[in-house]
Amino acid sequence: MTAATVEETHHVHATAGGGSPWRMLTRGGWIRAAWMTCLFGALGFGIVVLARWGGGWHPILATDPIVLVSLLVAAPLGFLAGLGAFDYWTYYALGGATRPEDHSGHGARSWKDYFRVNTDHKVIGMQYLVTTIFFFLIGGMLALLVRAELAKPGMQYFDNQTFNGLFSVHASLMIFLFIIPAFAGLANFVVPLMLGAPDMAFPRLNALSFWLLPIAGIMMVASFVVPGGAFACGWTGYVPLCSTHQPLGAVFFNQAVQWAGASSIMTALNFLVTIITMRAPGMTFWRMPLLVWANFTTSLLVVIATPFIAGSQFFSMFDHVMHTAFFDPAKGGYPLGYQHIFWFYSHPAVYIMMLPGFGIMSEVISVFSRKPVFGYRLMALSLMAIVVLGFSVWAHHMFVSGMASWLRVPMMITTLLIAVPTGIKIFSWLATMWEGKLHFNTPMLFALGFLSMFVIGGLSGVMLGAVPIDIHVSDTYFIVAHIHYVLFGGSVFTIFAGIYYWFPKMTGRMYDEKLGKLHFWLTFVGFNLTFFPMHIIGTQGMPRRVSDYAPKFADVNMFISIASFGLGASVLVFLYNMITSWRDGELAGSNPWRGMTLEWLVTSPPPVFNFDEIPQVVGSPYEYGVPGAQHAVLVPSKATEMEEVPV
Amino acid sequence: MTAITHDEAFGHDEHEHHGPPAAHYSSRISPGVLGMFLFIASEIMLFGSFFTAYFFVRVVNGTPWPTPPYHIPVQVATVNTFILMTSSATIHWATTAIKKGNTWGLRAGLLLTFLMGLSFLITQIFEYLRAGFNTSDGAFPTIFFCLTGLHGCHVFVGLSILLFMTIRAFRGHFSAEHHHGVEIGGIYWHFVDVMWIIVYMTVYIL
Repeated sequence: MTAATVEETHHVHATAGGGSPWRMLTRGGWIRAAWMTCLFGALGFGIVVLARWGGGWHPILATDPIVLVSLLVAAPLGFLAGLGAFDYWTYYALGGATRPEDHSGHGARSWKDYFRVNTDHKVIGMQYLVTTIFFFLIGGMLALLVRAELAKPGMQYFDNQTFNGLFSVHASLMIFLFIIPAFAGLANFVVPLMLGAPDMAFPRLNALSFWLLPIAGIMMVASFVVPGGAFACGWTGYVPLCSTHQPLGAVFFNQAVQWAGASSIMTALNFLVTIITMRAPGMTFWRMPLLVWANFTTSLLVVIATPFIAGSQFFSMFDHVMHTAFFDPAKGGYPLGYQHIFWFYSHPAVYIMMLPGFGIMSEVISVFSRKPVFGYRLMALSLMAIVVLGFSVWAHHMFVSGMASWLRVPMMITTLLIAVPTGIKIFSWLATMWEGKLHFNTPMLFALGFLSMFVIGGLSGVMLGAVPIDIHVSDTYFIVAHIHYVLFGGSVFTIFAGIYYWFPKMTGRMYDEKLGKLHFWLTFVGFNLTFFPMHIIGTQGMPRRVSDYAPKFADVNMFISIASFGLGASVLVFLYNMITSWRDGELAGSNPWRGMTLEWLVTSPPPVFNFDEIPQVVGSPYEYGVPGAQHAVLVPSKATEMEEVPV
Repeated sequence: MTAITHDEAFGHDEHEHHGPPAAHYSSRISPGVLGMFLFIASEIMLFGSFFTAYFFVRVVNGTPWPTPPYHIPVQVATVNTFILMTSSATIHWATTAIKKGNTWGLRAGLLLTFLMGLSFLITQIFEYLRAGFNTSDGAFPTIFFCLTGLHGCHVFVGLSILLFMTIRAFRGHFSAEHHHGVEIGGIYWHFVDVMWIIVYMTVYIL
């Protein structure tokens, strides 16, 4: 932690190239990662076994999860150390002199550079995006398996435990391994560019936060193969169901959440420090693009709220592993406490999953409407309002949990209040488009899709905020419909918009516009056909998270299942477009969308250190349609030098 | 998949790449110090979640504290508290010393702090071994072990940082101009101490 200071931004990375077998084994990379994973796993295992032996317990006890915990903690640390994520810090801690920067860990010269600890924020952004899309596909396939089972009443392919595992892992992957880190990936690529900074404030910490992510994802997926199957208590992991009545897979969930959470806290910390200390000259807070504002506020939420989910998963795991009594009423524990602690994170988390999307929307809508963002300051302030209010609404997830009844109405009021800043944003986007010159490129289509779908999701959210309606539809498909309108129609649409919007900047090539539009329409139609009917069967009482249902819902469910497979197929269009365009798309210039923010001032893809000279910011980032307006000017260093030459 | 790399697109060759332009600092606070403060903010929230569990068990459920027949050794913890508070003073001495360029003051201060932190941790381990109850013995032991244990983990991390700083101090890496490492590590150690006072008050005294 302390090592990541500015004075020490030197990078140490074993230089690539051949060498003796000994060098191959000890050089940071996949070979060292392999043996260090085993070594650390064995060490962790050994320590626990010794401690148990010393304490007079049976040393291993095949079914005891504590042995598993030691593996899940130690082996990933070995992997990270082997890959080289701790190289510099170890060297520093052992008292090595700070070495001069050699930049060897920076940038990508071949595809191999994406598979090592890379300190370039642009490479890390790509690593994030590709990894998250990989887990998006796995999560999506799990959803299709759920829909296959639900196509007909009665049991088709899976038993109850497996079915519960499918939707639990689906939700966990989509939330912790797709939406949250995909935003982190986009922001990683774009935010330092938008700020006019050469990189993030702590490049090595940035690299480490990325490499925690695959660990979390692999743990969640791997929970399917341990004895007893995956965790099957939903992504919320309520106790005592998840702490005492679940197979070993539950421990995988507890641990995976810790790794993903640590990753997101470190990234958020990095964003905050970068945004506060590394803005280009002239870039005041009120001249920052709204995407930067959005990531600033999101990072505040992450730093403050995420430790609470860490706490909740520690408690749940301790109850499981060490037989503590946090949530066991028989021993004096308080079961409802889990839900309070969990939702104190997980409600702010829905804004963590939405605010960066708001930022992307402001960029896309302004650029493709050729108009300044309406109410720029209010847009930024409403983000801050959401951050503050977001901490005061957690118990609206618990109206039917048996919590203190006096807590209901205050939570209802704050929940309804939060619709105000969100409404400000929606109307500001509409006003931004008003009388603009709209260009319906793919990012804009996704932005418009987001606006309409998010309003539906937001309105059902307001309905759910009202206690009586919530009690009626609690744990029905209405909830499933609501969350998918918010997280798919909201977050995922903005992620797609962001990927299409910055694709030319990231790869230097243009995506295929026709395929992009096809992808949008397939997604939009498939999404509505899949999730809209869920509102109706939800209000009629079809319970969520149950593998079987009453025959009267059979037709609608068959319809939903067919539509969901169409929605799944739409992703193939996206993948095909991305892969082929990345390989041989048309070359995109540095500024295909005629954007004003700083990332469009540099070449596509940007140079390794972004800017040869730090740009000077001179105005607002959104003065589209204002003649002669400029956000920033680049002062090439050579020109200044020439002026100084005496004639 | 990356058919087009930066160098292909711009004709840079591998030896040509130059360092980044000097970053522009838009704030007077150093990134390292700010990062440590933000990290501490999230640590406080982690402790907050543990104190929330404490609140539920002790206040909402009304668990007797300590639940008979168990005892907590308040005197030992009080002595330990004094040790940790003194170590806050010595780390402060170390940082002030190096700011004036006094490397021997730094070394002595760090070493003293490290030894005091170590004795705190060892005392706590003995306290655990002689507590007479275990994590699985009900809600009071659960909260007792988890709150003091979470703090103990932080002492361990703080000690590791102190150890690294001490090694670096004896190798002569710090000077009146370059002492970021000591300053940031010192902030963390102060945080560990202040957190202990809260844990001590809530678990042992109240």
